[in-house]
This record gives sequence, C-alpha cells and structure tokens, in this order.
Amino acid sequence: MKYCNHCKVYIREEHDRCVLCENMLDEELNEKNEDVFPEIQPFYESHLALKIMMFISIVALVVSFGINMIFPSSINWPILFMFGVISIWVGLIIIVQKRYHIPKKILWQVIIISILAVFWDYKTGWRGWSLDYVIPIACVSAMIIMYVTAKIMNLSIRNYITYALLDGIFGIIPVLFIIFDLVNVVYPSIISIGFSIISLSAIFIFQGREMKGEINKRMHI
Amino acid sequence: MKMKEKKEKVEWEKLENASKIFPATSSNKDTKVYRISAELHKNVNPENLQRALDLTLESFPMYKSILRRGFFWYYFERSNISPKVEIESTNPCSAIYIEGKKNLLFRVSYYKKRINFELFHSLSDGAGAVWFLETLVFHYMKINYKVELGDSVPSLDPSASISQKMDDSFWKNYTSNMQDSKIKKAQYISAYIIKGKRIDENKMKVIEGAMSVEEVLNISREYGTSMTVFLTSLLVHSIYVDMPKNKRKKPIVISVPIDLRGYYNSSTARNFFTTINISYDFQNNSSNFKDIVKYVDKEFKKKLEEGNIDLKISRFMKIENNPVARIVPLIMKDLFMKIADKFNDKSISSSISNIGRIKTAKEFESYIKQFSICVSARAPKITFCSYKDRLVITFTSPYKETDIQRVFFQFLANKGIKIEITSNM
Repeated sequence: MKYCNHCKVYIREEHDRCVLCENMLDEELNEKNEDVFPEIQPFYESHLALKIMMFISIVALVVSFGINMIFPSSINWPILFMFGVISIWVGLIIIVQKRYHIPKKILWQVIIISILAVFWDYKTGWRGWSLDYVIPIACVSAMIIMYVTAKIMNLSIRNYITYALLDGIFGIIPVLFIIFDLVNVVYPSIISIGFSIISLSAIFIFQGREMKGEINKRMHI
Repeated sequence: MKMKEKKEKVEWEKLENASKIFPATSSNKDTKVYRISAELHKNVNPENLQRALDLTLESFPMYKSILRRGFFWYYFERSNISPKVEIESTNPCSAIYIEGKKNLLFRVSYYKKRINFELFHSLSDGAGAVWFLETLVFHYMKINYKVELGDSVPSLDPSASISQKMDDSFWKNYTSNMQDSKIKKAQYISAYIIKGKRIDENKMKVIEGAMSVEEVLNISREYGTSMTVFLTSLLVHSIYVDMPKNKRKKPIVISVPIDLRGYYNSSTARNFFTTINISYDFQNNSSNFKDIVKYVDKEFKKKLEEGNIDLKISRFMKIENNPVARIVPLIMKDLFMKIADKFNDKSISSSISNIGRIKTAKEFESYIKQFSICVSARAPKITFCSYKDRLVITFTSPYKETDIQRVFFQFLANKGIKIEITSNM
C-alpha cells in the first residue's frame, strides 16, 4: 500500500497520485498492490451513420430549395421532398426507440404509415389510394408479421396479444370507409375487415383468459 | 401438471409506494442503481458464484421480475430469465432499467476478490439488498469452501417467509385517518447545490475509505453522539469548507434515508424506507464543528419521533391513493414525477445513507475482508456499512473534484484513524 503524506491515508490500488489531494505518491511501502476495480473501456456510441444521414438530408433539402428558386417550376416540389425526408425520419425514430419491443414497433409502424399515406394522398390531390389500399394492407400485413415474428422469436402470448388485439380493432376501421363510401376499390378493405374479425374472435375464443389477465395487469389503477 | 398450469398464469405485482418514483426519474445521469460489494480474501470462483446465485433466487422470487409500463402505473412482471454471473465490465452503478428492455432489475458480477451486486432501486432498498447479498455470500461460501469447512457448515436461517419478503409494507402500515390539519407541510427551501465538472459518459467516481468501526465510534462518543450523527455532521462540515463564500446564505441540506422495518416490525425484501432532511444554515449558526454536531443531533432526534415518521408515510400514501392521481395516464404521471423530482433535487445538497452492520455466519468470517456500498449520485453522496470491525465509507460523485472527500477523510485521519482508500478512477 502507498501512503499519502498530505492526507495521511493509505492508497490501496496502483495509483501514481493520491486519489484525494492529487499529490505524487512515494514508492511502494511493501507488497505489490492488486487492483480492486477493473479498467472499464470507454463506451463509444457509433452515431456516425446517423450523423451522415442527418447531414445528407440537410444538404439535399438546401440544394432542392436552391434549385427551385433558380429554376422555378409550377409545382412546389421541394416542399414535397421535405415532407418525404421528414417521413423517413419519423419512421426511423420510431424503429430505434421501440427497438426492444417488436409487436409494439409493428403497431406503431402501422399507425405511422397510415397517417403518412393519408397525408401524402391529400397533398397530391386526393386520389384515394391511401384508404383504398395502404391502410387495409398495412393492417393485414401487420397481423401476419406479428404472428410470424412471435413464432420465430418465441415470444410468449402475453407479449404480443395486446398489440394483436389493437391491430385487429384498427383493421376493422375500413368498415367506416365502406359505410361512408370513401373508397373506390373495396376488396382490400373487405379483406382487412374479415381478417380482423377472424383474428379477434380467435384471440377471444382461444386466449380469452390470458387476454383478461393481460388487460387487468396493464390497466390496474 | 399442476406446476404447468401455474406457470401459464401471468404473475404480476404493483410497485409499492417508494419505488414508483424511480422508473420515472432514472436517467443516464442518475441511474437509480446502487451496488453492494463483498470483498473476499481469495479470488472469486465464477462457477460457484453462479450456483450460489441460482440458489439465492429461490428465496427471493421477487427478484425475477421485470419492470413494465401499464396504462396507469408501472408493474413488476415475473419472468423466467435466469441471470448470469459476469466478470465486471460496466462502471459502478451504470444503468439497469432501460425503458422497454426486458431484463432483470439486478446484476451480479465479480472481479478478482470482489462480488458485486447491483440493483435498480425500484426492486428494493439497501436493507433488502443486503439481505440478498448475505444470502448469496452464504451459498457461495458453503459451495466454495465445502472441503475446508467440513462439518462446521452452518445452516441458513431464512428469517422470514417468502410472502413476508414480498410484503408491500407501506400499504400494510399506513393509517389514513391522519387529520389534514395535522399534516403540516414542510416549507420548501432551496438548498446549496454542489457544483463541479461532470466526468465523461456520466461515470461515477467512487472513493471508498476503510477504517475501524471501534475507532470511529470512540470519536463519535467524544462528541457525545452516534456514528451516523457524527458522520452527517462531518459531511456538513466538509461541504462547508468547500463552499464558495457568497453561497453561504443557502443552507446545506442532507437527506438521510431511514429504514422503516424497525419502526413497523416488517421483514419485507422490497422497498420500505423514508427520508428525513437535516438542514444546517451557516448564516445563523456557528461553523464550529462541535456546534454542528450538537445541532444535527437535535435535528435527528426531532425528525425521528414516531409521529413524524407516521405522518410522512401517510402523506405519501395519500398522494398515491388520491382517485384523481390514480386515473392519470402513466405518461402524465412520469412527467409530474420528473418535475417534482427536479424540485426535490434543488432542496437537497447531499445525502448520507447508513446500511448498517452486515452479518455472516461466524464460520465464514475468516474468508471475508469487507463489504462496501455505492450509489448513483447527482451530487457527492455518502453511503456506509460495516462488517466486523471494518467500516467502509464510500463517496460516490458525478464530479471530477474531490475536495469534499479530501476534507472528510483528512479530518478522520487527523484524529488518528488509519484509513485505506480505494477508488475506481
């Protein structure tokens, strides 16, 4: 052990300077010191890819606005481009944030994709493709993906059942599209509704008890 | 068959009163993780430690829980994850609870002669964690020194039933019939805040000073008080010495966690503590160390009266049971708790936590050198515990500066106490 003459304390580990007063320590008194704490390597988070993407997004936006100002066109395409970039970022952030919880992530993606599709459809002159195709297809594929990942990753029922339920409920929404005559092509909506009702009934019939337990747990006040 | 049926049912548990704040307020800067270490005389054998851990978990089923978010509250969900003993590879008190990540709320690691047990504060307080570590060390000793111990292997006294260990003692012991008028709200005071340069990556600087219990007790007696009061006063003094002159109008407030098991005869392995604040104002009081001790001693006695503790618990339980508060979605609760915590932080300068005397069977004493505890901190904090005659006082600090630590240990060294210092950086 080393001894600090200033602080009058013994230093157990291998230090050149006193931990308390930072004065130089004398040479070893007797037996050699053994470290008590390991050396922990600094943790470098590699955000480089993210930084490059961020940089490219900004450069691209500046360039597109610049070009539009120099060579004006009838449609304001840089704005659309900007929304495109924002859409990508929103999707990405959700993926990264919910990375530990796959069913939740899938459900969030369905919601994000639906909102973005409606927005884009509206901005590009409402041709109705978002309600016709995107929302119903997103709901059905989410249900399938959820089931498949749950099987592959060996998730227990309780880990995805709530999200499957929510997605099922979401998948019934196209009923409103048909009732209010908002869609031109009805097949995807019908498929989505049918699929949702079948999967919801499966959840309630086969997993009713788990579902109840799960709801009690998550909603306890 | 019966076992299988049981397994399918989801077991879950509400968080008890004190643990509710931790998930909402934990961050990379303050992870709400603490670490208790046992230092042996010989290097740790990882295989035997793993076996000991598996056995220990049998007595602490709560520790197999993961923390999840419900719509209104957090809850513990029993998992079937089996924890793995690993060589120490993270900084002391680095994050354990990460939102959405499904992992256990504790970690057991080893390095050379040390066994480290780190846990997220929602799971349990110091007393519960000590109990877990004592059991872990017991099993480890029994397995590792089987041959040497021979016939003299002691048997483990579980000292409480599994259900007693899982008790929500806040719920059991509070009384709601406290008169509102009796609940005199403590006035909010903004305390002196210790400033410093943060260490990179929000690492904690841990400085442990090991010394003799008897010698510190003797000095405490010289000042006519207990060890906790003496060390609290010394902390106040050390902060004062380091304090810039123009900040001296603000009081130094030390938060002291109090284990409630003794007050209410509980033996839970979950959280059951409250805190008292000891405030010292140098503008109206002398800076003489003897006067500080006298004042702190009086404050401790006043704050620890049973009625005051009862009051404190019922006040917190009242918030928890408020019907409006209960139906507020968790996202909002998180936000409110974060804000409340920020205010609370501004009213505390530092804290001192006494984990008490750690005990092992007599037969094992020759194999164990010491126990120590450190905790994630937003300002320099003290935690201490003792084993046999070895008292380990630990400063954990997010700052590079070590002036408070230096004044503190120099004071003790100048009283003739032999101190051995260990630090992680």
